[in-house]
Amino acid sequence: MINSSMPFACIFVPDFPVEALLRAEPELRSRLLVVLEGKAPLQKVFAANENARHAGVDPGMTKIQVEACAELVLRARSLSQETAAHAALLDCAQSFSPRVEDTACDTIILDLTGMELLFGPLPKLARDLARRASDLGLQVNVAVASNPDAAVLAARGFSGVTVIREGNETEQLGSLPVETLFVEQNPEESEPLLETFNRWGIHKLRDLAALPDAALSERLGQQGVYWQKLARGAVSRTLVPVEPPLIFEEAIELEDPVFLLEPLAFLLARMLEQLCARLESRALATQELRLQLELNNGWHEDGIPWSDVGAGILTRAQARQHFQRTLRLPVPLLDAKTFLKLLQLDLKAHPPGAPIAKIHLAAEPVRPRAAQNGLFLPPSPEPEKLELTLARIAGIVGEDKVGSLQLLDTHRPEGFRMQRFTPGEPQQKSDSIQKSEDLVTALRIFRPPAAVTVTMQDGKPAFLSCHRRKEIRGEILWAAGPWRSSGDWWEQEGWAQDEWDIAVQGENNIALYRLVRDLLSGKWLLEGEYD
Amino acid sequence: MYIELHSRSAFSFLEGASLPETLIAACANLNMPAMALLDRDGVYGSPRFHLAAKKTGLKAHIGAEVTCGLLTPVILSKSSSRSREEDESNDPYPRHYATRVGIPRSARNDKNETFRLPLLVSSRLGYQNLCRLITKMKLQAAKGEGAVHETELPEHAAGLICLTGGDDGPVALALKNGGIAEARSCVERLIEIFGHSNIYVELQRHFHREQEVRNRAAVEIARSLQLPLLATNGVCYANPDERELCDVFTAIRNHRTLATAGRLLARNSERYLKPPQEMQALFADLPEAIANTVELSSRLEFTLKDLGYKFPKYPVPEGQTMMSFLRERTREGFQQRYGRAAADLKDRARRQIERELKLIEKLELAGYFLIVWDLVRFCREEKILVQGRGSAANSAVCYSLGITAVDAVGMELLFERFLSEERGEWPDIDLDLPSGDQRERVIQYLYKRYGERGAAMTANVITYRSRMAGREMGKALGFDPETLDKVSAAVSTWEYRDQNDTFDHRFRDAGLDLTHPRLRKYFELCVAVQDLPRHLGQHSGGMVICQGQLDSVVPLEPASMPGRVVAQWDKEDCADLGIIKVDLLGLGMMAVLEDSLHLIEDHYKEEVELAHLPSDDSAVYSALQQADTIGMFQVESRAQMSCLPRLRPQRFYDIVVEVAIIRPGPIVGQMVNPYLQRRQGREPVTYPHPSLEPVLKRTLGVPLFQEQLLRIAMVAANFSGGEAEELRRAMGFKRSQARMKEIETKLRAGMTQNGISQDAQEQIILSITSFALYGFPESHAASFALIAYASAYLKCHYLAAFTAALLNNQPMGFYRPATIVKDAQRHGLKVLPIDVMKSEWNCTLEEVALRLGLRYARGLREEAGQALVRQRNLAPFTSIRDLVHRVPELRKDELNTLAEIGALNSVSSSGSPGSSKNQMQIPRFARNDNVVRDVTKNSKPETGNLKLHRRDALWQVERAVRHSGPLLDALPEPDTKSPLHPMNAEERLVADFRGTGMTVGPHPMAYHRPRMTAIGVRKASDLGRIRNGQRLRIGGCVIARQRPGTAKGFVFLSLEDETGVANAIINPDLFQKNRLLVSSEQFLMVEGILQNQDNVISVKAERVQSLSITRAPTASHDFY
Repeated sequence: MINSSMPFACIFVPDFPVEALLRAEPELRSRLLVVLEGKAPLQKVFAANENARHAGVDPGMTKIQVEACAELVLRARSLSQETAAHAALLDCAQSFSPRVEDTACDTIILDLTGMELLFGPLPKLARDLARRASDLGLQVNVAVASNPDAAVLAARGFSGVTVIREGNETEQLGSLPVETLFVEQNPEESEPLLETFNRWGIHKLRDLAALPDAALSERLGQQGVYWQKLARGAVSRTLVPVEPPLIFEEAIELEDPVFLLEPLAFLLARMLEQLCARLESRALATQELRLQLELNNGWHEDGIPWSDVGAGILTRAQARQHFQRTLRLPVPLLDAKTFLKLLQLDLKAHPPGAPIAKIHLAAEPVRPRAAQNGLFLPPSPEPEKLELTLARIAGIVGEDKVGSLQLLDTHRPEGFRMQRFTPGEPQQKSDSIQKSEDLVTALRIFRPPAAVTVTMQDGKPAFLSCHRRKEIRGEILWAAGPWRSSGDWWEQEGWAQDEWDIAVQGENNIALYRLVRDLLSGKWLLEGEYD
Repeated sequence: MYIELHSRSAFSFLEGASLPETLIAACANLNMPAMALLDRDGVYGSPRFHLAAKKTGLKAHIGAEVTCGLLTPVILSKSSSRSREEDESNDPYPRHYATRVGIPRSARNDKNETFRLPLLVSSRLGYQNLCRLITKMKLQAAKGEGAVHETELPEHAAGLICLTGGDDGPVALALKNGGIAEARSCVERLIEIFGHSNIYVELQRHFHREQEVRNRAAVEIARSLQLPLLATNGVCYANPDERELCDVFTAIRNHRTLATAGRLLARNSERYLKPPQEMQALFADLPEAIANTVELSSRLEFTLKDLGYKFPKYPVPEGQTMMSFLRERTREGFQQRYGRAAADLKDRARRQIERELKLIEKLELAGYFLIVWDLVRFCREEKILVQGRGSAANSAVCYSLGITAVDAVGMELLFERFLSEERGEWPDIDLDLPSGDQRERVIQYLYKRYGERGAAMTANVITYRSRMAGREMGKALGFDPETLDKVSAAVSTWEYRDQNDTFDHRFRDAGLDLTHPRLRKYFELCVAVQDLPRHLGQHSGGMVICQGQLDSVVPLEPASMPGRVVAQWDKEDCADLGIIKVDLLGLGMMAVLEDSLHLIEDHYKEEVELAHLPSDDSAVYSALQQADTIGMFQVESRAQMSCLPRLRPQRFYDIVVEVAIIRPGPIVGQMVNPYLQRRQGREPVTYPHPSLEPVLKRTLGVPLFQEQLLRIAMVAANFSGGEAEELRRAMGFKRSQARMKEIETKLRAGMTQNGISQDAQEQIILSITSFALYGFPESHAASFALIAYASAYLKCHYLAAFTAALLNNQPMGFYRPATIVKDAQRHGLKVLPIDVMKSEWNCTLEEVALRLGLRYARGLREEAGQALVRQRNLAPFTSIRDLVHRVPELRKDELNTLAEIGALNSVSSSGSPGSSKNQMQIPRFARNDNVVRDVTKNSKPETGNLKLHRRDALWQVERAVRHSGPLLDALPEPDTKSPLHPMNAEERLVADFRGTGMTVGPHPMAYHRPRMTAIGVRKASDLGRIRNGQRLRIGGCVIARQRPGTAKGFVFLSLEDETGVANAIINPDLFQKNRLLVSSEQFLMVEGILQNQDNVISVKAERVQSLSITRAPTASHDFY
């Protein structure tokens, strides 16, 4: 009979990345499934199910190597699906015990003390656990033992459901290879130890368990004794239960779909107030708001940028019925009115495009910001106002056109990217900014550059006309150049261009322009005007 | 007309992307009459540039970009200071703030405190100055670093013309640092150093705005100082598309990837060799800058033709000339060599020596011969084995002087192959020395004798080959390390390639998709970078000497080995420019012979002299005839072994033939079979023409040696000796069709004149053309045959000593130590395992056996091994703990290895006598062919009365290395039995191979013999008794895999079992089907038809299968 004073169970998911994917596509379970990781063209096998491994697929092989086998089903690794699988695993565990340790992404330990009264004897409980996991789409190993680590070893080593009887750990675990001890260990630490065991001819846990304690301690120190205890299934430790996650979410299911933004704003205001109240009670603020709207059928594809599908728990099919927006704030805030205005502005710029059936609003909790800035920092606008202003500008010009400029280290013209504007950061002095002494005059860039027609004479531009700007037309009096540059030849987007600085005789005056010829397409563009 | 006077080649190492020859070819295409090469800090590429230019009739100007530290401004005269103030008022490049407020230059935060000074050589003096300047700079800094200091410039300025440089030149740097005023000051300083007439203000136009601003400043400075302008293009590659490679080099140089190199990369592709018209158009506003290139080119008189190299003089006693001194030494040697010879030979030798001495005198080469003689004398005095090889063995003077060991007169060798008047080339003397310390002593002797600036090693230019190319190009493209490993493994190659061996296939095999654009680019770059220089190494043995003035002939650099300097040119460059070199080649077998002699003297108490070995030893010839030659010099390869039973050597000359016949020349020229057929009397001996009988008689009418071909040309077509040598060179690696045609015409004309029939002419020409390139010179073969004979003699009569010496000089030869040991064991030698109580660092001889040395414990450092031996010699170790305490140099991993291979098993059985110090004289090991001893008796890994087993030792080591604190440390503790199980046979095998790369216990196959017999696998020793054509199975450990270039895709495997080695031949189809199996499995079973032709036994494979024998990591020697 099992002494049920301190029983623990371990749930282990073999081939976790594969299992995570199988939750969404269970029909692939009988096939040869391979999970790939990495960017093209250098994708490699990250994990494979047992069938695929039998066919000779090993982690680390390249995509092209495994592609030779026609029966394989290839899938890219999905971190979001793994996160979801892990959450499901936790849910499964928490539905059996309040004390759950999140040991690894594929391993969960439960304290089953007293649970027999609720769920019946331990073998049955273990089977129920496996069944529940199976209902959640995960094929798992479950082991029950008198201490957490013995349960982990058994779950990792034996497939299906295993019950280790108290006092029988050494014998029952003895047949496992010593490598089982080190599955989650850092290879730098575990490899020398494994090497030593290998040299000693210690291959099974049984062999390690049988070594004399004192002699082992003399050789491998306390660490060695610990591993031996572990091999004997005799380590007792306290569980490290996971904290219930801080989740701040509100949802409203609507009887009648909402069509207009105004009634939606009303509902949102209520939800925001509730959220803010909850956050406030925990002395937290938020830096991210996620709004998810369930739409009533009439969804059309252009409405949702794919990148906006949040944490990715949703499959593409599910996403079709959802509309999601995420507001990220530069600083933690806790002001329902500001949030509402920001959401309104955002929805105005990105209307859902269909009647709304369900509203789901989540806030990512963070610590609130300190009220006062440093004494010697320059004054900056109030974050709330700044954020509103930026949101307004973005609503007009587009999100990717607001921010602060970061020059890139490249010869490529206009080699820069937009960074999110954050106040208070010191201005970076970069070598890439031309020294003022090198600059002759200012150049006003045309955005977009104006397409022009150019007539050449003796290899130099001689006459210029612009269709879009009629005033730019005339004989080129003087031209300096070409200033030639090319680069990124190793990429598909290589570029090459000639620049000319030209003086054009206008109706009233002489104007100086920068004229560019794209050498790959042959097009002429007027890039800007010199002051 | 425009002449490019500022260009870099790939010899600027990662700063240029074209070979000098490519630049010259491009120059010729553009009808440019001349061009200058200015590589970075050296003249590395100039010989090849010069030779390529000579061939195309262009003029090659020489120069270099020399790295310099900042110049100090000149002390200003009043007028110039006034003009400076005026300058500053309207300076587009205003002076830096730092200059105005007087911050010292050293404190300014400039990244570039050095610049490149382009210097062109106008006269021989200038060239010498340039070489000395670079040498000075290189020798005072670490490898690859250093800059010329300003104060060093004036003394080396004569004969040099200075340009003001491009982006990285002095003017650009001065403009950046201090505006136009500082730039002018810089140019004034250059005028001061080089003289007003030797400065040209350089202008380059690569379509950059900033560059144009600089150009304006430069023009202004030139006008104000009345200096000529000079247009150049700062060429870095011949064609615009080579810019990509240049960008990759930039990334490699800066340890970046292309994606992260940013603006370090070139802005555009304009630094190619531009046509004169294009340059004229570019500088249409400054025509004088173009015109000046022609004017300056005409001022540059120097080319490498006027190198001014003179061979050093050898110091002779007063009243003597070098020639008279040489005559005397030759006469002394003659008495020794030919004193007891037959009158006829003596007479011929005297005449030949006189003829040679006359030529030596005429060519003023006495000094050279004396220097080499002096080296040989040094070796003799220091008891270092030395033997000359190569064409020097054709000389009777060299033989008399003791430089070579082959009697050139007795063997009727062709002197012209060594030295001829027509050739205008210095002779080439190669000395074989024992590799390792002994050779180093000879090299140091040369340095000491001729001074640091008088002798140097020749360079070895490391060029991009497939593996390095794959790795570096991949790195530049940002591949991760794992992918890099994959792709570089993919480009390793067999010697033979079939049509499936394309790059595409290799990439696919490595799991990479060539259709992806980035991989396609990678592939293109790998191909483009092939053969471009990467960096300079040092040649292993080539030395050039110039008595104190070598640095005025070629710049010298420090080598990574302290006390050594390297010239900037490689062997071929030195030869091309007429610099005499001596090759001091380290030959592993020489070291083996030398070590063997010492061991024989110490243990057998016998003194063996190589010069006086009996020349007709029956044991030697019997071993050779049976191809029992593992470990013997030059005759041990599989190909040699398959020839020996057919050739059946019976006298020394047969060994000379044997050494020469298994070469690509005779194989490709299909000479091997006819010769063997004739030798076995299966084919009549015929000659292409009766007049050739004297030439070809010795080789039964089949030409086998280079000299024979030259003699054929001399006899049949009336070529002079020098012309014949010309012919050999024309057949060299870079054959020119035109030159070949020319020589063929000449040959035909001569042969027609001598009345040789058309058919015979065809035959002769065919053999000359197919053979001259790869043939072995007879003299060289004879030198090698001497060493081969000596090695065979020692193996047959002093097996223990020879095997120990062979094992102590690994890696060398065709086989791995594991095979050598197994072969020795089969010949009755007992081999004992490593034992810390008995083993020295090297393998040693004990009473009845060979004891493996600690050097075979993998991972054991020599320093730790020697410390162990020292401590043991003081007192034997009483326990493992005692060993660990007394030899703190031993690391834990080293102790573990020693324990794992059983080297600690006898530690606690203390007081074991017989350390190698008190050896008895032991009987030598007579060769016994029939002894194929029962492997189980051969050796026991855990032998005798020892108490510990390997795991006991491992158990003790783990405790001993762990500090148990001062209290317990003091307590003595005996080694006790451990709770661990002893290793089983398989575990011991694994440990042996892992820890020593071999086992002295039974061969892995021996453990599986019953199983093998059950599945019909025959022993290697049985094959000789099985009739030809029978189907059978053989199996064993793969010890060698070969896919020779001459074998049309066939693969040859050598499979070793406990009784010997069996050979299998895999046809290309079978190989294709079992590629992975054949190229990577350790144990194979081959089924096929036995072929036994004249006792050459092999199995023609029809099926290949892997054998599961052991997990032990055995290794094979693979020739890809």
